[in-house]
Amino acid sequence: MTKVEWELFLSKFIDAKGYQSVLDGLVTTIEIAVFGLLIGIVIGTLIALIKMIPKYHFAPRFFSCICDIYIAIFRGTPMVVQLLIGWFVLLPAIGLRMDSTTVAIIIFGMNSGAYVSEIMRSGIQSVDSGQLEAARALGLGYWTSMFKVVVPQGVKNILPTLGNEFIVLIKETSVVSFIAVVDITKAFRQIGDSNYSYMIPYLMLAAVYLILVLLISLGVKAMERSLRKSDRN
Amino acid sequence: MIEIKNLCKSFGDNQVLCDITETINEGDKVVVIGPSGGGKSTFLRCINCMEDPTSGSIIFEGEDLADMKVDINKHRQNIGMVFQQFNLFNNKTVLQNITLAPVHLKKMTQEEADKKGMELLERVGLADKANVYPSTLSGGQKQRAAIVRALAMNPKVMLFDEPTSALDPEMVGEVLDVMKQLADEGMTMVVVTHEMGFAREVGNRIFFMDGGRITEQGTPEEVFGNPQNPRLKEFLSKVIV
Repeated sequence: MTKVEWELFLSKFIDAKGYQSVLDGLVTTIEIAVFGLLIGIVIGTLIALIKMIPKYHFAPRFFSCICDIYIAIFRGTPMVVQLLIGWFVLLPAIGLRMDSTTVAIIIFGMNSGAYVSEIMRSGIQSVDSGQLEAARALGLGYWTSMFKVVVPQGVKNILPTLGNEFIVLIKETSVVSFIAVVDITKAFRQIGDSNYSYMIPYLMLAAVYLILVLLISLGVKAMERSLRKSDRN
Repeated sequence: MIEIKNLCKSFGDNQVLCDITETINEGDKVVVIGPSGGGKSTFLRCINCMEDPTSGSIIFEGEDLADMKVDINKHRQNIGMVFQQFNLFNNKTVLQNITLAPVHLKKMTQEEADKKGMELLERVGLADKANVYPSTLSGGQKQRAAIVRALAMNPKVMLFDEPTSALDPEMVGEVLDVMKQLADEGMTMVVVTHEMGFAREVGNRIFFMDGGRITEQGTPEEVFGNPQNPRLKEFLSKVIV
């Protein structure tokens, strides 16, 4: 890292207000990952629960099959391809106007839902079946029993895994510039592009991701500790 | 109160209950005894359809619970159940365990349910444990809390599935005391148990189940004092010292 490189970088980052676009990009990155994960958790929980309904009737079998197809599609194709199809194919096809960040959030959420559903299923299955039985025996319905008793315990079991999913999402958002979203990767790249000096912007970019991921790991650990209060002690 | 007609239950090719027809009257304290694998627990679990009967019917309050079209949740509100493994909700405090169902099913407001829950906890000597999580309780305390949870719904019948089998010998007494108290108050009860002393003292009818059938039944005096079925004689000679 020569002095010249630093000067070039700082002139862009400070004097030309490059930090502003970096900060905006950081917010966008976090926005996409956070809302993506939230949507993913909702979709994933629904899929997991649908797939776990006892299959005496046609309806649960049918919906379970739909869920399988959904998972196959979203796990079987790369995220970038899903973004491209969502933005350049589906959006024009249905004629909706949406800004690219929103599209990215939706696609990330749907993609994440496919992965979270499997995580959620393992979490729910790790809860003793007696918990569901006891709730049902009191006259509570399947969905109430699941949401009030089983899912909260299952989520606790999979919290570290969900934390990992969040970390994966944060890192995967680096491809959203494919659909013209300015995230933190794009923001640093623009700084590099402006004077063809990439070393410092990209190393700083890596450092930002690293710090983000470390912070999330710490957050997950803290959450685990606070949830453990109802565990055996 | 509960009419069981031609109840059969199979798990795959394994027939666990064969053609059971029985009537349980209001105020009955039915104690079901018998060897392991004889179908006792399955029989009990079929009464509130925790296991769906393969055939036959369970008539409760004029409706057939075995009929898939009947709203089973509505009837389960009137049939309390206590499990061998307690099954208290680990993510809720003792009091929340008790109030969850009555409040959610709109039988009571939160305040009413809290009040009723505390009264019941007081009765079983657990009032000081209302706000702790189940993991901090002993087995006997967990089972007493589980009984209170079932009672908070004001059930018309209580089903007990080996309520003391998972307990340390020292803690069996405290749970049986609560059950005796309940029996004295006139609750209709069906109890699967290996506690012969309890069966003799509290039961007014004893069912002996073996091979998926009720092979002998009668008052405790008849069943324990003058058993007819050879398998029952053998069973009693092993369990009663």
